[in-house]
Amino acid sequence: MPANRQMLKKFSLLIFFILGSAVLLTPRVMTQQAVAGGSTEQVEFFEKKIRPVLMNNCAACHNPDAKIAGLDLTTAEGFRGGGESGPLIDRQNPENSRLLKVVGYEEKLKMPPTGKLREDELVDLAAWVKMGAPWPASNLSSTPHAAETKVVNGVKSSTREFTPDERAYWAFQPVRSVKPPEVSDNAWVRTPVDAFILHKLEGNKLSPAQEADKHTLLRRATLDLTGLPPTEAEMHAFLADQSPDAFAKVVDRLLASPRYGEKWGRNWLDVARYADSTGNDEDHRYPNAWRYRDYVISSFNNDLPYDQFLREQLAGDLIPAKRPGEVNRQGITATGFLALGPKAIAQQDKKKMLYDVYDEQLDVTTRAFMGLTVACSRCHNHKFDPILTRDYYSIVGIFAGTRSFSDPMAFVSESLNKPLVTKSEYDAWLAAKKAHQEKAKRRQLEIGEIVDAAKERMAARQTDRLAEYMLSARNVHINKAESNSLAETQGLDPAILEKWVKYLNPDNIKQHLLVWKNSEAASINQVAGDYEKRFLAQLSKWNETLSAWRVKYRQALKDGTELPDKPGFDGGKDRFFDEIYFRKGPFSVTQEDKHRFTPGEIKRIAELKAELENLKKEAPPEPEMACAVEDGDVVEQKVFIRGDYHNEGEEAPKAAPAILAEKTGPLPEVKTGSGRLELAQWLTRPDHPLTARVMVNRIWQWHFGDGIVRTPDNFGKMGERPTHPELLDYLAARFIQSGWSIKSMHRLIMLSSAYRMSSEVSAQALAADQENKLLTRFNRRRLTVEEMRDGVLALSGDLDLTMGGTLQEGTGTDGENDNKRLSLNPELLTRRTVYLPLRRANLPTLLNLFDFGDATAPSGKRQLTNVATQALFWMNSEFLTEATKKIARALPQEKQSDVAARIQSAYRRILGRPASLDEIKTGHGYLEDFRRKYPIEEPAHASWQSFCRILIASNDFVYVD
Amino acid sequence: MKEHDIERMVASIYHQREEPMSRRSWLRAAGLGFGSLGLSALLADEHSVMAMPQVQNPLAPKAPHNPAKAKRVIFLFMHGGPSSIDTFDPKERLDREDGKPLPFKRPLSFDNKNDAGPLMKSPWKFRPGGKSGIPVSDLFPHVRDCVDDLCIIRSMVGEGVDHGAALLQTFTGTSTFIRPSMGSWTVYGLGTENQNLPGFIAIKPSLAHGGAKNWSSAFLPGAYQGTAIGHAGLKVDDIKGEPIEYLINKRFSTDQQRFELDMLQNINRRHEALRQNDPQLEARIQAFELAFRMQAEAPEAFQVDKESETTKKLYGLDNPATQDFGWQCLLARRLAERGVRFIQCTHSYKWDQHSELFNGHTRNAREVDKPIAGLLRDLKSRGLLDDTLVIWAGEFGRTPVSQGGDGRDHNPYGYSIWMAGGGVKPGFVYGATDEIGYHAVEDRMHIHDFHATVLALLGLEHDRLTYRYSGRDFRLTDVAGVVANKILS
Repeated sequence: MPANRQMLKKFSLLIFFILGSAVLLTPRVMTQQAVAGGSTEQVEFFEKKIRPVLMNNCAACHNPDAKIAGLDLTTAEGFRGGGESGPLIDRQNPENSRLLKVVGYEEKLKMPPTGKLREDELVDLAAWVKMGAPWPASNLSSTPHAAETKVVNGVKSSTREFTPDERAYWAFQPVRSVKPPEVSDNAWVRTPVDAFILHKLEGNKLSPAQEADKHTLLRRATLDLTGLPPTEAEMHAFLADQSPDAFAKVVDRLLASPRYGEKWGRNWLDVARYADSTGNDEDHRYPNAWRYRDYVISSFNNDLPYDQFLREQLAGDLIPAKRPGEVNRQGITATGFLALGPKAIAQQDKKKMLYDVYDEQLDVTTRAFMGLTVACSRCHNHKFDPILTRDYYSIVGIFAGTRSFSDPMAFVSESLNKPLVTKSEYDAWLAAKKAHQEKAKRRQLEIGEIVDAAKERMAARQTDRLAEYMLSARNVHINKAESNSLAETQGLDPAILEKWVKYLNPDNIKQHLLVWKNSEAASINQVAGDYEKRFLAQLSKWNETLSAWRVKYRQALKDGTELPDKPGFDGGKDRFFDEIYFRKGPFSVTQEDKHRFTPGEIKRIAELKAELENLKKEAPPEPEMACAVEDGDVVEQKVFIRGDYHNEGEEAPKAAPAILAEKTGPLPEVKTGSGRLELAQWLTRPDHPLTARVMVNRIWQWHFGDGIVRTPDNFGKMGERPTHPELLDYLAARFIQSGWSIKSMHRLIMLSSAYRMSSEVSAQALAADQENKLLTRFNRRRLTVEEMRDGVLALSGDLDLTMGGTLQEGTGTDGENDNKRLSLNPELLTRRTVYLPLRRANLPTLLNLFDFGDATAPSGKRQLTNVATQALFWMNSEFLTEATKKIARALPQEKQSDVAARIQSAYRRILGRPASLDEIKTGHGYLEDFRRKYPIEEPAHASWQSFCRILIASNDFVYVD
Repeated sequence: MKEHDIERMVASIYHQREEPMSRRSWLRAAGLGFGSLGLSALLADEHSVMAMPQVQNPLAPKAPHNPAKAKRVIFLFMHGGPSSIDTFDPKERLDREDGKPLPFKRPLSFDNKNDAGPLMKSPWKFRPGGKSGIPVSDLFPHVRDCVDDLCIIRSMVGEGVDHGAALLQTFTGTSTFIRPSMGSWTVYGLGTENQNLPGFIAIKPSLAHGGAKNWSSAFLPGAYQGTAIGHAGLKVDDIKGEPIEYLINKRFSTDQQRFELDMLQNINRRHEALRQNDPQLEARIQAFELAFRMQAEAPEAFQVDKESETTKKLYGLDNPATQDFGWQCLLARRLAERGVRFIQCTHSYKWDQHSELFNGHTRNAREVDKPIAGLLRDLKSRGLLDDTLVIWAGEFGRTPVSQGGDGRDHNPYGYSIWMAGGGVKPGFVYGATDEIGYHAVEDRMHIHDFHATVLALLGLEHDRLTYRYSGRDFRLTDVAGVVANKILS
């Protein structure tokens, strides 16, 4: 095969080049380089000739799970790692490689055991070994810093020297103490924020937009802080207030409203990827996640200092309660932040599942609080930022020492729910619950025994006639005999025969009935007899099992000890028996078969059932629980090379990322426990370069639509640079000085002239500042889905302002295609959107439609779109039809001549502003035309409803200036 | 101007007016009443439009990287995991060694607690089909008749041994994280041809095992989200009335809706004109026009009942056993015909035969066999099969060893799927599993490779179809994926 030889030649040249040029590279790096520099031919040779041989002949035993003889031949790492008896390849003398000797049947050990490989396969393997056995990883990724890899004590280390550029990266520098700059137009400077903005504008010879009018400003601020449109009364009050601090009073009023926490809590819940179920595969409910949501809302309402907010979310369970002996309910609840992420709980590789959970916790923690994508370092050093794989595992070790599951090893792993009461209270509940369950169990077992007694009575008379039943049923099917009369002539029980007829329906395609179905008339008696024989043998075995249990059961009843569970029949052992004797089969008896019971038995069952009903009411109520984490066993984490837990590398003691530790000093020493508290303490150091910057940037963005750094979850190299770095630092410093008060940040920002700017833009500003990076105007924005829905409900008067609690019912998950798998439909509910439970795998259509996001990863900024399917909602949804009907009816009910006043009222209520003269004229014309064109409609209301729908669907409502 | 002034003026105008304004006049009033900012003036003022950052229609058709062999995809998903060794991958050794122990250590399984049973032969006979003579089991007699159009891949490899992980990987490439689905990536890459229909439609998708994440856009913009037509738990009759949420206005005639929409757009135009024709406002105005056309034209696409009786029969709509999947397949063809880019049909969670393989698989195959063959024949006769890629796949296959006596456990280590049309080699078998059908051993096609290949057929290079999120360029195939060039026709 000349083509093949030529290819091999190229191939070896390539390998030679690499070996010659980089002698010090480890084999792993070498193959990566080889592939990175190589052609697809190399991949092809390996994939075509080598991998199939290994997979076909070796992988069944030498895979990462079986790993017979300690050898894994399915991955490059496994191959290079060799087996218990050493490496497979001799690099000095490739011909002497152990691999070739073993497959060549040259030694005592001969592989594969099923027979020697074909000659051509052996030739290919030899050629490959000679080349140095390059193994192109299929999930190859080039690591720019690979060449700098160090070897420490024989273990490859990911640590390396940072470059001066990396050390000088802006986001890692301490927050500077900045004074607001001088500006020429001092009149514009209301708060120091304005000096920074104006300074930059003046430098670019631009001026800020005019101040927005009062209507616009109130609507903007009210939606911004509460997520609801201003009411007419609020608008009147603000318009009437001519005092210079009128707007400051509005801001104070809005900040004091409980609606504030609902809006800003929701902002944070986006970052915390909040939802009420595990998502991913099984989507089990988190029945207590809502307490975390309520904690977030009340934290914003109470202006909980952000450093405390952060510490509680990472380690609240480790912070002592205010009073000794009590449980830190708030702290435990706050750790829902870590606990309520998406989880693949049916993953059977449980170690992988756990490390995926730790990864998820690390990701949300580092992105939410530091704006760093540390999770990118799971398999290799971060490609863009100076974050090392070891940094990743140093933090992962903290989460690996944290428990998020009560039973991770269960078939479907069970999430942790942590009691919000003391241990003794909880233990007392457990004991009471157990006693209660025992009472119920006693009654259930007694019912079962009565039913079984009836069944055994019947069985004693009928089961040895099984063959007759089968033959009679066949008679019914084939000869169309009449079932009841046949039963009578044969002396069979007609009800039982009827069940047999149904069960043996020839369309039934069960495998264990095929013999029956396919039997000829000649042998049918024999076959029926065989079925009967096997059934009776199984029955007698089953009766023995039951008898053995009954001895124990009766003894336990007598002794008053714990009752043994009644055995159940394993259907897989004998489908026929299972289907006949249980599952409402022909020889089963259930409570519904009344005629099988004596009057005494029926009475007793009724009594027991009544007692069970009463017991249900007496069940001791479960103490309040939280979706939370707690400390588990301390883990001495090692680096997993390429993210593979089978492949442990250097140790990764708990630590802060090295590049940051250079600035802040190390993580406080972790003496006991997981290290979460120490991580939280380190993050809230006042000199931490990222924590305050990231949060003030989020606050700024939630006010202005864009952050000072426009990638709020990524302050790394691939994120954007701050448009106003001095302002960012000024705000960060003020934030810390204020005692991490978020509300004081709101005041600082909202009372500025910058916040009051109109969203209208001059041609000059538009030309010079298309993306509004200099803040020449306020950003116009679309309402969020919560603002749309809550706003419409507020206008229709349906909005239920009850706070907290949960609408989610039940635990676990549901049938695969049960409607209960869906999130509750927001269009049928009236609570604020933030309180609607979210089944992560199936979020409500409305939320999906309007860019809610997917609640699986931290999301500091929603991407808002405008597509046709959204417009369909505004045009056709019943939700809007119902709401607009109510809104129209609520308009002042006056005489026809006051149409103008009603139009005014509709504008004021819905759009928060008066209608212009033109608008009134136009509206009036529309209403008139409507009534003339569609006169059959219900008088007046239909046209007004249409008019209100138009206003609500308009850009005027859906956008905030 | 103060508010009471406006009201006073309005009142005077109102009283002066003798005739009620016609519709024409209020439209005109809206335009003329604007003075210097009048609509017509603004429409002519191109400069202001040019200066604003433009908003692109995210669904507009885009050219692929390379000439496309397939313009659209119909993905027939068999939820639960059909057994390859009982359908498209015959294993003689299993027949010979029925009842013997597995000759090697069992890899990680779904049910690891119970010891696996012995090797279990297939209860179905395989027979050669078509001119190619490719064997297909008696479970799929109709599909067997179409085997000359199939490209059977017998060497699929995934990683998830549980349904959730396996579904998510099949549709999104990863089971560990939530990532955009294949359909979302496709529409992101190619846009869609018919703006009156969504570009990515999931017919009766499953709510379980990842649920909507299997047709969601994750971090891609919401416009690339799949649109669900009902879900697997609903009956076809419950879906027909309003296949797409909000598509049907239950109260107004089209005429009346247009009347209302004219007024809405009038208000929107006025609003936009006062705001330098901000393109995001314009985008929303256009979205309403599109929606209006969509609601007029989309329902027709869903009117499967309008098909001829012959066609309905071809898909098995006349038989209760086949009518559900038949409806899905026929709807898929109608949508494909109308330029929908990516269509998923789901035979709901039925193929999971941990026990009673025989009954279960018999019933399941009976429900889908005829509809699938009907779809292939229909596409072919309409000339659509050439540029429509049909994919048949479960989330994994099943073990050659028995479970619970008469069932099979999950097997992601080597299983079969097939493709047809859209640029794949017809009547072709690619890859192979080992002698008992546990591991893929020849031409292994990892799910990443499968994704890379599907994108390649659509003219997209999987390593160039990227999206920047959280500081990184993401793609469907993560950092892997090799196109299986051998199966390209």
